[in-house]
Amino acid sequence: MDVVVFIIEQKSRIALLLMQHLYLFFISMLIALIIGISVALLITRPGGERRGRLILSLTAAAQSVPPVAVIAVVFIFVGVGGLPSIIALVLYSLVPIIFNTTSGLLSVPYDVIEAARGTGFTNRQILLRVKMPLSTRVIMAGIRSAATINIGTATVASFIGGGGLGDLIFMGIKLYRTDMILAGALLVAILAVLVDGILKRLEERIIPVGLRCLHGEGASG
Amino acid sequence: MIDLQGVSKYFGKVTAVDNLTVTFLNGMVSVIIGPSGCGKTTVLKMVNRLIEPDGGMISIDGIPVDTYNPVELRRNIGYVIQEIGLFPHYTVYGNIAVVPRMLGWDAARIHRRVMELMELINLDETYCGKYPAQLSGGERQRVGLARALAADPEILIMDEPFGSIDPINRLALQDTLLAIQDIIRKTIVFVTHDINEAIKVGDRIAVMDRGTLVQHGTPEDILSNPINAFVEVLLGHDRSVKALSLKKAMEFIERDGFITVTHDISRARRDEILVKSPAGVAFLLDGDQRLSGRFNRKKKPDGTYVIVEDSEPEYIEKSANLNETLSKMLETGERILPVLSAKGEFLGVVTLNNLFSEVSRASSD
Repeated sequence: MDVVVFIIEQKSRIALLLMQHLYLFFISMLIALIIGISVALLITRPGGERRGRLILSLTAAAQSVPPVAVIAVVFIFVGVGGLPSIIALVLYSLVPIIFNTTSGLLSVPYDVIEAARGTGFTNRQILLRVKMPLSTRVIMAGIRSAATINIGTATVASFIGGGGLGDLIFMGIKLYRTDMILAGALLVAILAVLVDGILKRLEERIIPVGLRCLHGEGASG
Repeated sequence: MIDLQGVSKYFGKVTAVDNLTVTFLNGMVSVIIGPSGCGKTTVLKMVNRLIEPDGGMISIDGIPVDTYNPVELRRNIGYVIQEIGLFPHYTVYGNIAVVPRMLGWDAARIHRRVMELMELINLDETYCGKYPAQLSGGERQRVGLARALAADPEILIMDEPFGSIDPINRLALQDTLLAIQDIIRKTIVFVTHDINEAIKVGDRIAVMDRGTLVQHGTPEDILSNPINAFVEVLLGHDRSVKALSLKKAMEFIERDGFITVTHDISRARRDEILVKSPAGVAFLLDGDQRLSGRFNRKKKPDGTYVIVEDSEPEYIEKSANLNETLSKMLETGERILPVLSAKGEFLGVVTLNNLFSEVSRASSD
């Protein structure tokens, strides 16, 4: 119960840290989305399938780098504060976005793309009307895991003066205040679950109806 | 008319199409057949510029295809491919409406056209809202055909369209295609590796091997005069039997050698005529020349005759081919079958002896 008491007592300070955390999250996610999707689109342009697969292996390897390492590297090159934190978060969120967007776009069946091209779709129409809708599920999964990782990693940003709920945890460790540590951890976890839930809702809305588990109904074979 | 003049295509060191010159005539189904890797699909894809040739010229009604914008060109050539190729995230309606929408038709016109095509491919209106995942393989292929026809293109190219369908449904789809072609009379280029399919759907067959044209002609030409051993092997051992499916029973109809009787003849008189007649068969016709019965003369062990009446006699329709006619004879054990028009009028008979001499003549060629 100490945790609840602590949160209620410190609500204005916690609200500020929460806003900081959300700020780090939104800004870095936005930048990561723009860069990540652009990169994925660029490397999966028609004829770039081999290049795409190479990038897939690279990003898969990059996913094994721990967040602390990324933050440490950014700290060495950029220093401390909000900006380095955002840069670190962008770098770390980019990986699942690029990985999933690329693999989603590459997984669209070749015969569907061939049919679209043969039917007179332009490259742009193939991308927007065929490839993107057909890979929505995989792309959204990447965005969701990026978002969850981002919220967790933003905690570590406190290390280099990025602020956010990580402050509670690290201060709690220094002061041996369990309630403080738990409050920070609990709020981060709730935030991650909430954000993931919202993105899941969004995903359900934008996945094309024809791809939503229709296989059991109607005629078969 | 699709005209290829000295067209070549290389993929790296591999020659896919080698200096190919061939013409596909308007309003006909031209089948390109050959083993895999013979370049048939490459030829098809060069027509709608999914693949650009390395040499030679392809023109449609005299206009070189490379003068068109490829996207515009493809919107004016219907394209049907082997695998499903339908857009899984569009409904049946959405799939069929794809090209008209890109061409900017208004909604009412698109709706009319989609409904027209649904009727043509014989799919119920309730299918409009279904998604490809909810259809059977045959239904998907029919929707694929409707999508290709949506903007009413003059040319249709089909790349092994029924290749992934089971044999029974494939026959049904071939019938559907032929019935539709009977109405629309498009210029169709159809790629297949199934010789039976080629003979069935083709008005012309172009046999390809290693990027070159081996033989080009009507199915009859090719079946009766295979130009070399390659074509002979492609046609298989039973080409004389295959040739039977090209001939209609109507061509072998006989108008004598049997007796027709009407209802007003007396039984005694009828039996008397039948006993004397050489074939020993009489057909009972009503006032409108419709077949309503058949009398067969049977010999008893004591040498006398008995007359057996069949009030629901077997028959064949005049559109039946020789293959079907022979099957029917084997099934029913009748050596003589009456031929009826689509309206049921009696036209004459075909006899096993006559067909048999045709078959043996074809085999000895």
